[in-house]
Amino acid sequence: MNTLAIETKDLKKTYDGKIYAVDGIDLQVEKNTVLALLGPNGAGKTTTISMLVTLITPSSGQAKILGYDLTKDSKNIRKKIGVTFQEMAIDDQLTGQQVLEIHGKLYGMKGSELKSAVDEIFDLIELQEVRNKKVKSYSGGMKRRLELGRALLTKPEILFLDEPTLGVDVQTRAKIWDYIIKLKKEYGMTIILTTHYMDEAQSLADKVEIIDHGKIITQGTVEELIESLGSDIIKLEISGDSASLVKKLKALDFVDQVTSHDGWIQVGVDNSDTRVVPLIQSVIQQGYSISNLNIKKPSLGEVFFKYTGRELRE
Amino acid sequence: MLANGIYTLWKKHMIKMQSAEVSGFVIQPILWLVLFGVGMASLVTTSGTGEYIGFMAPGIIALSALGGATAGGAVWQTERLRGMVREYLVAPIPKLSILGGNVASTVTKGLIQGIIIFVVSLLMGATLSNNPINLIGGLAAALLFTIGFSGIALAFASLTDSPGGFHTMILLLNLPLLFASNALYPIKILPTWLQIVAYANPTTYAISGIRDLVYKTSTFPGSDIALWIDFVVLFAFAILGLLFSQYAFKKSLP
Ligand SMILES: Nc1ncnc2c1ncn2[C@@H]1O[C@H](COP(=O)(O)OP(=O)(O)OP(=O)(O)O)[C@@H](O)[C@H]1O
Ligand SMILES: [Mg+2]
Repeated sequence: MNTLAIETKDLKKTYDGKIYAVDGIDLQVEKNTVLALLGPNGAGKTTTISMLVTLITPSSGQAKILGYDLTKDSKNIRKKIGVTFQEMAIDDQLTGQQVLEIHGKLYGMKGSELKSAVDEIFDLIELQEVRNKKVKSYSGGMKRRLELGRALLTKPEILFLDEPTLGVDVQTRAKIWDYIIKLKKEYGMTIILTTHYMDEAQSLADKVEIIDHGKIITQGTVEELIESLGSDIIKLEISGDSASLVKKLKALDFVDQVTSHDGWIQVGVDNSDTRVVPLIQSVIQQGYSISNLNIKKPSLGEVFFKYTGRELRE
Repeated sequence: MLANGIYTLWKKHMIKMQSAEVSGFVIQPILWLVLFGVGMASLVTTSGTGEYIGFMAPGIIALSALGGATAGGAVWQTERLRGMVREYLVAPIPKLSILGGNVASTVTKGLIQGIIIFVVSLLMGATLSNNPINLIGGLAAALLFTIGFSGIALAFASLTDSPGGFHTMILLLNLPLLFASNALYPIKILPTWLQIVAYANPTTYAISGIRDLVYKTSTFPGSDIALWIDFVVLFAFAILGLLFSQYAFKKSLP
């Protein structure tokens, strides 16, 4: 039990007694792991995080953070967690330096302890040159990094990141990923992040919870989830009417599933290595020509599609 | 932790203040003193501008306290609407210290503005009591009044989600504060209905207190309201303002 950083049971949040923002979530997060909450808009990710960081009170259910009861012991929890918000909450009239100092003081840090912690953070987030500039002169990506740094200043045991790479460019995204990996490895942090991006969950998370309509639809390690699909995916671009071909392919015994969209046919097979040649042969036998072909290992996107029947935007 | 939270937020708001708001809010009261005060003075007294400026100064100090409180309320509203308050809510400080920090910084702003007007009135020739106890008493009256109004401003800033709405609410208080009180003329010369309004207006007691303690002269011999009544009313006003802000603050949290 003591190795769990977070444990929740049937956690719920309802608004006005009818909107089920979070509808019974059970989580078990081990220490020093990265958990990703993956789900589309309105799934309940932010609401879940908001409850876990003591920002809003659950309507029902239980949760323990680092062994502390979420509702009774929120003060002890607050001392040991760091949070970044989906919509940034940084005062842009202050300098980066002031943002970090004030944050540290709210947590009771002072003097040389505060000073060296602030220095260390500016090194980590690579904003040393702009630390005395007003935050309003920062780019979006710099603000995100500052907010991440602010959450790290107090050396939290658990870090909650709500969409940490929302609206940042590719380089900043890569940087933030690097920080997260480093924090887990070198500082032994437990990290909970939410994301829309499957590649993000796939690159960072030890475990993924797929959430939709306030419920966990499925969960596991990335590998487990992908394996649960049980098939590889072969995509073919063909010319002509695909409807009859789809029907024919479905009848093949090694084919799990077939979908078609915009001239592309997506075929799920048990093993792409051995099935690609027979598949091509039967397509050609039906009199179709193939103009393009690729083989995909399934990713979280396909997992999401399988469980919700909807695409998650990449 | 309560004191630490209050102090940290107060300090943050003082840092932000340096960069922004003071000047705009203090210009209006100074214009009142200079433009209205000088004109009125030549109408009502022959003994020089200074005496009427002294008569008028408490009302303008109250007005500028309102300006400072408005500035403080606006900062709180911005922090709330832009989500910065979430940083405080997940920090290990009592929620009450968030309100406390805002009250402290809002009152400070009100007082700073009041003191600026006090100094301007001196420069314009107002005569003051030379008893330091009176001056401290005048400051105390101004402080209580500022606390009460800061509470109201913070409550409005908690209850309305639009900056325009907030400023409209404050503006509605702005004019009666001057005209439905003893700010510009002695209460006795007002028609009865306006006298009733003036007696119901806490500003009257702040002005009466400050005037009696600090600015009394032979031409303008001060108010008819006993000093202890001024302070009882102002004290009650401060407490009610704080309670109102606490009620609204709780309602505004997620
Ligand atoms: N204060 C509130 N009052 C009423 N409904 C709310 C409130 N906050 C959230 N909701 C609703 O709860 C649901 C979950 O919202 P939440 O913000 O947790 O989703 P999310 O997964 O974070 O979505 P996104 O990816 O868009 O950030 C949504 O339907 C939302 O409209
Ligand atoms: Mg969200």
